[in-house]
Amino acid sequence: MKPSVLAAQAAFVLFVIGAWEYGDAVGLFDPKILPPPSQVAVALKGLLQSASFLGDAADTIVRVIAAFLIGAPIALATGFVMGENLDVGRSLSPIFNLVLAVPQSIFLPIFVLVFGLGFTEKLIFGITHVFFVVAINAAAAVREVPHGQVLLARSFGAGRFKIYRSIYMPAMAPQVMTGLRLGIIFDIIGILLAEMYASRSGLGVLLLRWGESYAVDKLMAATVLISLVTILINELMRVFEHRIGRWRQAMA
Amino acid sequence: MAPAIPVVIEARGLGKIFSVERAPIVALQDISFAVPEGRFVSLVGPSGCGKSTLLQMLAGLVPSTTGEVLVDGAVVRRPIPEKISVMFQDATLLPWKRIAENIEFPLEIAGVPAAERHARAAGMLALVGLSEFAERYPHELSGGMRQRIAIARGLAPNPRILLMDEPFGALDEQTRIKMGHELLRIWAKTKKTIFFITHSLTEALFLSDIVLVMSHRPGRIVGVIDAALPRPRTYDIIGSAEFGAVRNRIWKLISQDDTEAGETGMASL
Amino acid sequence: MSVRRLIVIVIALGVWEAVRRFNLVGPLLLASPSEIVAALVKSWPDYLVALRFTVSEIVIALAFAWALGIGAGVVAGVRPFFGAVSGPLLSSLFAVPLITWYPLFMVWFGIGMASKIAYAVVSGFFPIAINTMNGVRGVDPHYFVFGRAIGCSRLQVVLRILLPMAMPSIASGLRIGTALVVIGVIVAEMLASLGGVGYQISYYQSVYQTGHVYLGILFALACALAANWGLSVIERRFTHWRELQIGER
Ligand SMILES: Nc1ncnc2c1ncn2[C@@H]1O[C@H](COP(=O)(O)OP(=O)(O)OP(=O)(O)O)[C@@H](O)[C@H]1O
Ligand SMILES: [Mg+2]
Repeated sequence: MKPSVLAAQAAFVLFVIGAWEYGDAVGLFDPKILPPPSQVAVALKGLLQSASFLGDAADTIVRVIAAFLIGAPIALATGFVMGENLDVGRSLSPIFNLVLAVPQSIFLPIFVLVFGLGFTEKLIFGITHVFFVVAINAAAAVREVPHGQVLLARSFGAGRFKIYRSIYMPAMAPQVMTGLRLGIIFDIIGILLAEMYASRSGLGVLLLRWGESYAVDKLMAATVLISLVTILINELMRVFEHRIGRWRQAMA
Repeated sequence: MAPAIPVVIEARGLGKIFSVERAPIVALQDISFAVPEGRFVSLVGPSGCGKSTLLQMLAGLVPSTTGEVLVDGAVVRRPIPEKISVMFQDATLLPWKRIAENIEFPLEIAGVPAAERHARAAGMLALVGLSEFAERYPHELSGGMRQRIAIARGLAPNPRILLMDEPFGALDEQTRIKMGHELLRIWAKTKKTIFFITHSLTEALFLSDIVLVMSHRPGRIVGVIDAALPRPRTYDIIGSAEFGAVRNRIWKLISQDDTEAGETGMASL
Repeated sequence: MSVRRLIVIVIALGVWEAVRRFNLVGPLLLASPSEIVAALVKSWPDYLVALRFTVSEIVIALAFAWALGIGAGVVAGVRPFFGAVSGPLLSSLFAVPLITWYPLFMVWFGIGMASKIAYAVVSGFFPIAINTMNGVRGVDPHYFVFGRAIGCSRLQVVLRILLPMAMPSIASGLRIGTALVVIGVIVAEMLASLGGVGYQISYYQSVYQTGHVYLGILFALACALAANWGLSVIERRFTHWRELQIGER
C-alpha cells in the first residue's frame, strides 16, 4: 500500500479520536452520553483489571472457541463431501442457500425455548453460525482443485496421499481459510447476540446491562475493545489467507 | 491563387507532463500543427507515445501543461460539445438505452426539444444505414454496427469536428475495411473535419489527406505526410506503387524513432 | 405454483401438526400450525400494530442506508485516493460485530424507534457502500470521458451514466443491505424496545407462549421476504439490459 494512503488512513483515525476528545473538552458532546477517549481509556484499564469482567469475557471466549472447534470440522467434512460428490452437493446446496438467505438471528427465541438459557443453547446457536459459511466455502474450495494436475500426477504414479498433500491442499487452502475466517466472525456475532438476548453471563449481558443503566464509559470501553479484537482477528486471518494464496501462485 | 482554407484546429506548442508518484513523465513535447477545415487528418505513432492524451487535449478534456489549443481561433479550456464530438475504441453506448435513445442522449444533455431529437436521431440512423435497429438495444448489434451507432451519435449534435481515438481498433480486419469505406462516405456527405488516431499505417493512409507521425517519449510530431492520393478511394489503391512508397516513408519515420528509443533504453539500463 | 409443490407443503404441514398432536415434542418447544393460527385469531390486532411499527422503522432506515451507502460508495469510487483510503477501512469495519454497538445506540438515541433505525442503517450501510464503490470503479473510464465530452456536468455524469452503469453491482449491494436492515430492525427490537414484531417475539418467548412466538417469527420472515421480493422486482427493472446481455452470451 502506498505510504500516502497509509498516512491518510492514520490521519483519519487520529482526526476522529482528536475531534471526539476536543468535542467533549469544549462541551460539544455530553460526556454522560459520549465520554471522551481519555475517560474511555481509563474505564478500559479498569475493566481489564476487574476479575468479574475478565470472568464474563472468559465465558464468552470459551463459548466462541467451543462452537468453532465443534462447528468448523463438521462443516469442513460436510463441505468436502458436498464438493467432491456432485449429487450430494446438488441436493444439499438449495437447503444451504435457503438457510444462508434466511436470517438465523430471528430464530434465536426458538433456540432459547428448545435449549433453555445455558451453555448448550449458546453453543448450538454459535455452531449454526459457523457451520453454513464454512461448509459452503469448503465445497467451493473443492472446485478449485486443478483436475488436470491430478490426472497428470496419477499418470506419474503418485499415490493418493501424495496427491492430496501436493495438489489438493495448496489449491483448496485459500478458499477454506476464507470460510474459516468468516466462520469465526459469524461465530463471535452469534455468541454475543445470544448473550445479549438472554443469558446469565458473558460480555453480551454486560453490554446490554450497561446500556440500560447508562454506564457509558464502561460500555464504550467494552464495545471498542470487542470491535478492535474482531478487526484484529479478521486482519490476521486475512494476512494468513493472502500468504497461502501467494504461495499457491508461486507454485503455479 | 485559391483562397486559403480556414484552420479549424490549431495546436500551439502543446506539452504534457504527468507526475506519477512524484516522478514527472514528459508525455508530450512541443506539439504544433494546424488542421484546415474539412480535412481528414490521421495521427500514427508507437503505442504509449501520447496520442490519446493529445486527442483529449484537443477536445478540452485534459489540460495541457504548456501551449494551447485553438478551435476556430478561440482557446479551448473545456469541452465544446456543440463543435467537437469524441469517439473511442469501444462505442461507449449506454446499454440500458435503445439505439435511438443512445443517439438522442447528447442532444438531451444539450437541451434539444424532444421532437427535434427524434427527427435528428432518425436522420442519423438513416445516414449510417441502420434505421431498422432504432428500437433495439446495443448488445443486440455487432461490434461494427455499434461503432456506426457511435458515429451517428457523434454526428447528431451536428459538430464541425470529429475526434476519433482508434475507433475501429477492436474490429476484425474485414469489418474494419468496410468501416473505413463507410466513414469516407459519411465524411464526403457531411464535410466534417476529422482527426483520426490509428495503429494501422494502411488505414491512416487510405483514409487521410494528411498523416501526422509521432515519436515515443517525449511524444513529438516527427513528420507531416501529405497523402494526396486521388479521391474517391477504392480498395485497389492500397496495392498501388504510390501508396506503398508513402507508407514506406511513414514506416521509416516510425522505425527510425524506434531504434533511437531502443538505444537510449539500452544506455539507461 | 405446481401441484406437486402444493402437495409437499400440505404433507409437511400435516406432519408438523401430527408431531404436536401426538405430543412427540413438548408444547413449549414447538407450536403446531393450528396453534399458530389460533394465536393469529386471538391477537391479530396487536400484531398489526406491531407490524406497522416495525415497517415504518424499516422504511426510514432503508431510506437512510440506501442514500448514505450509495452516496459514500460513489464518492469512494470516483475519487481514487479517497477510495484507496476508505476501501480497506470499510472492509475492516465490516468485520466488527455491529450488534455490540446496539447498547450504545440505545444510550445515544433512546429506547424508541430512533435507536433501531440507527442500528439498522449502520448495518445496512457497509455492503451498499462497498458494492457501489466496486461497481463505479468497474465502469470503463471512457464513459467518464464520453460524458464530459458531450457536456455533462459532474453530477450528470454520476446520475445519468455512472450509477446506471454500476447498477448491477449496486443492486446486489442493495439486496444484501436491505436484508440486513430488515433483520437489524427486528433483532434490535428483540433485544430492547417498546414495540414492534421483534418485541412481540421476545415478549411471548419470555412468557412461554410458543404459538405467539412462532407467529411473530413468521411475521418477521414475511418482512424479510417482502423486502427481498420488492428488491428483486426493482433489480429486474433496472438491470433488465444486463440480463439480456448475459442471456445472449
Ligand atoms: N492520467 C495519467 N497519469 C499518468 N500517466 C499517464 C496518464 N495518462 C496517460 N499517461 C501516460 O502517458 C503516456 C501516453 O499515454 P496515451 O494513452 O496518450 O498513449 P497512446 O499513444 O494513446 O497509447 P496507445 O497507442 O496504447 O493508445 C503513456 O506513457 C501513459 O502511461
Ligand atoms: Mg490511446
